[in-house]
Amino acid sequence: MRIAAFLPELLRSLFKKPNTVDYPFKKLAVPEGFRGTPHLDPDMCIVCRACERDCPAEAIEITAVNEAEKRFRMVIHNDRCIHCGQCVDSCPTVPKAMRIDSLFEIADDSRHKMKEDWVYVRAVIKPKAPAPAPAGESPNA
Amino acid sequence: MKFQIPIGPQHPALKEPISLRMTVEGEVIVDADIRLGYNHRGVEKVAEEKNWTQNLYLSERICGICSHSHSTCYVQGVEKLMDIAPPPRGMYIRYLVSELERVHSHLLWLGVAGHEAGFDSFFMYTWRDREVVMDLLEMITGNRVHYAINAVGGVRRDLDDLQKAKVLEGVKILRERSVYYFRIGASEPSFVARIAGVGVLPLEKAVALCAVGPTARASGWARDVRKEDPYAVYGELEFDVPTADTCDVLGRVVVRVKELLESYKLIEQMIHKLPEGPIAAKVPRKAKPGEVVSRYEAPRGENLHYIKSNGTDKPERLKVRAPTLANYPATVEMLRSGFIADIPLIFAAIDPCICCAERAVVLTSARSGEESIVRLGDLRRQALERHQKAPLKRNAVWPF
Repeated sequence: MRIAAFLPELLRSLFKKPNTVDYPFKKLAVPEGFRGTPHLDPDMCIVCRACERDCPAEAIEITAVNEAEKRFRMVIHNDRCIHCGQCVDSCPTVPKAMRIDSLFEIADDSRHKMKEDWVYVRAVIKPKAPAPAPAGESPNA
Repeated sequence: MKFQIPIGPQHPALKEPISLRMTVEGEVIVDADIRLGYNHRGVEKVAEEKNWTQNLYLSERICGICSHSHSTCYVQGVEKLMDIAPPPRGMYIRYLVSELERVHSHLLWLGVAGHEAGFDSFFMYTWRDREVVMDLLEMITGNRVHYAINAVGGVRRDLDDLQKAKVLEGVKILRERSVYYFRIGASEPSFVARIAGVGVLPLEKAVALCAVGPTARASGWARDVRKEDPYAVYGELEFDVPTADTCDVLGRVVVRVKELLESYKLIEQMIHKLPEGPIAAKVPRKAKPGEVVSRYEAPRGENLHYIKSNGTDKPERLKVRAPTLANYPATVEMLRSGFIADIPLIFAAIDPCICCAERAVVLTSARSGEESIVRLGDLRRQALERHQKAPLKRNAVWPF
């Protein structure tokens, strides 16, 4: 037992660079697997709704704009998104129609501005993994 | 003469809302009453509305510090219900993240203990070193807090050789630092004097009150689910269950630092033994009807999830018994015959996670002591009414 056993460490730290960075001016790189905001690639989406069903925050919404033209609308509510990346995992197409970017400064002053939507025609692609929901939409499936 | 003093629900010494009512005689606490329900979120009810995959992320959000514990405990149960065995590589990665989480949680707690004992430089340094393990977790899983590495039937991300090397490198630094903290903890007389003999929980009391985790182990009760009921990969790994017999906050510090060293051992073994193969198995969307209890040794103690399935893709019931809830009765015992100044230290020593332990809200009238259950909408209306009726402070002026 001795008084101030911590002192050498404290003195050593006096001459070290700070352990933190000046955040808004200097940014640390995010890791490779970082989960940012989800986006849709409308050319690849077969509207199987796997992402909508598995999204834990109910942030993905797919509605039919015109049933006859097979035109759909997907809205991603980024204000509800918890950035788990399950939509990317659930997506059955190859390459995946859902992708996730690595942006982390995504705050906004209004939650209504954080929506992102796409109106697109359903893609006819043979999914590699068996997609659970769609039935008989691809002619050579 | 006896007084009752309220600590909380909002109090600078508490990080989360909980009400501790202390009956004191002078400086000495003669009785303590813990009241919960200020942070209730209805997680269990929400879980009944979501499918097995969605609940993975919900259970992860029960706690911020031990998020992986809850998610793993849940996924263990679901896998048992679905009767699937995840591939060994997936298992090793899952429990590697578990151990890394234990390291980050214990380092965080050590800092908090230092802070509560008035040793703030200890707090700064442990938290600085905690960044090493946070960076490792971020590298493996993609996120610092909610790792989302679990999937039903395995894990979602693989480990490559570069990541393995980085984990080993990080563990080396962390071990060096932990040994240093252990030495500091033992040789800094003011720190030891502050925490020794505070919050005593004798062994027989710990057993009688069903304490779990480091709280029980600091009372000399070697209780660890990883050892007693080895789940998943723990049967294949070598580690000890550290205990202390001082039964006080000092013992809890010692147990946690020793556990850190055990965790480093486990991490290294897991990295070296990491088998090849797939990381996740294919799983059905629905589980068979049945019920299961899943046990998991979280950093704070034994975590318990009860899951009941009715054959659909949603659970019929998910019951969570977080380790903090099991430690509350023991906390009351620890607080008794302590001093008022020790309350934050004793309470922090169980590593309380208050929102983990919030399960139901029962309102008790402060005047009559009557208990009632009120709907959230009614509660909100009552609060608004009270706010409108409250007299305006017209004479309040800015003093400058």
